[in-house]
Amino acid sequence: MTSTMLRQPVTGPDALAENVPKILLVDDRWENLLATEKVLRPLPARIFKASSGNEALSLVLRHRFAIVLLDVQMPEMDGFETAMLMQEHEGMAGVPIIFVTAISKEEKYASRAAEIGAVDYIFKPINPDILKSKVAVYIDLYLQREQILRLNAVLSQSNEELERFAYICSHDMQEPVRMMNAFAGLLAEHAAEKLDDGSRRYLNFILDNARRMQKMINDILTFSRVGREDIIVETVDCEAVLAEVLSEFEDQIRETDAQVTYGHLPRLEASSTLVRILFQNLIGNALKYQDGNRRPEVEIAAVRQRHAWRFAVKDNGIGIDETFRSRIFTIFQRLHRKEDYPGTGIGLSTCRKFIQLYGGEIDFVSAPGEGTTFQFTLPVKEAPLP
Amino acid sequence: MKPFKILVVEDNEGDVEMTQRALAKSPHPCSLTIANDGMHALELLRPEPGTGAPLIPQLILLDINMPRMDGKDLLVAVKSDPGLRHIPVVMFTSSESPTDIRECYERHASCYVVKPFNSGKYTQALHDVVNFWGTISRLPH
Repeated sequence: MTSTMLRQPVTGPDALAENVPKILLVDDRWENLLATEKVLRPLPARIFKASSGNEALSLVLRHRFAIVLLDVQMPEMDGFETAMLMQEHEGMAGVPIIFVTAISKEEKYASRAAEIGAVDYIFKPINPDILKSKVAVYIDLYLQREQILRLNAVLSQSNEELERFAYICSHDMQEPVRMMNAFAGLLAEHAAEKLDDGSRRYLNFILDNARRMQKMINDILTFSRVGREDIIVETVDCEAVLAEVLSEFEDQIRETDAQVTYGHLPRLEASSTLVRILFQNLIGNALKYQDGNRRPEVEIAAVRQRHAWRFAVKDNGIGIDETFRSRIFTIFQRLHRKEDYPGTGIGLSTCRKFIQLYGGEIDFVSAPGEGTTFQFTLPVKEAPLP
Repeated sequence: MKPFKILVVEDNEGDVEMTQRALAKSPHPCSLTIANDGMHALELLRPEPGTGAPLIPQLILLDINMPRMDGKDLLVAVKSDPGLRHIPVVMFTSSESPTDIRECYERHASCYVVKPFNSGKYTQALHDVVNFWGTISRLPH
């Protein structure tokens, strides 16, 4: 797939020539232009010549250059002025300009060049070897940058396609799995008396797996919605979100006699969906990953830092072995058998994906057998603390 | 009690079966007409001249994902037709997508119900819909 996508479509006779780096030489003296051109000709590049600032500017409007060699002393518009005007043009962003000059190596010229954004300075008389190797380095940089830009475009396209695929797949699978669950359920009801134990067991396998599949589909959908849908930033009352999330875990908390405590949680400008997803997953995990030999304890806290709020969800559960650190946030990675701790392996990757998109971070510290503390930061959008 | 006339627009046979089962047991009696997609529904609501009387349901129960004409397009067609736009349209779909929810309300859906996964809750949701629109709400004649 990748190799075919890498092939650029040929859109016109000039399409191939477009990929060859272009060098712009600007000098008011024709003999200088010819001499420089001769030095640079062995390089894999097309050379354009301009004998005035104006001529150079009109070329910049029509071409994207890899590098510009600019004579400082020219009549009418000098090199500095030309460079400044060039840089107003969008296509010149990031294009290196090398000033070529015969005037003395005074500091003030060099610093003026630096202010304009020139990356280099060459003095006349030019040493052809130095000039050639310098320009060759810039051409290389240009080609590498172009290559990276092309690869990025290809990657982000294929990434988009994959996400779209996952979204549509899971979206469209909701209906069939719901049907399987519903009719297996109806069959279990209707035929309860007619079925023997073996057949009832089979039906239960179908029902259990339909429910698991439904959970997976939901989790995949939540994962792929992150990034697809706009993040709405509003005032979020974290204590209210926490209360809602805790009510979802009500049964589980009662059954396991878990103790959930929390300190003051802030109201802050954030995405309420993000805060909910984080609480749901981290508290859900804290309650789930317990060995059953002691009363589960979960503690939620938040402290204000200069540019962010740092939240912590601490438990006294089974902990996470350090060797799993790199896998814990990876999608579909599960560290336990589903019989021991059921799950889809999507929750923490959704948390990380969302929080990274939002500009925060998530991490954990853990002591196996003693517990885990997950920490995440939500950047503060209003003015930072002094 | 007069039966509550509902047009069910749904392409999935399983869902049609579930809906019929649920509403057969509804406390408020219902009479259902089934259309398999948006196009079929429009043929019933706006029949070609000379092909019979148009169907005027009291409620439309509408799925989103359907072949030929999907739920959103039918919704727009119903709500832009002066003879039909008074009919409440209840979206009844698997999609929990916030985009779908928003777009349906923007196209004047009366409400949006996600089909519950659990079949007991599915039945209950349909009973609640019928109870609300058939008993609690006043509808135009």
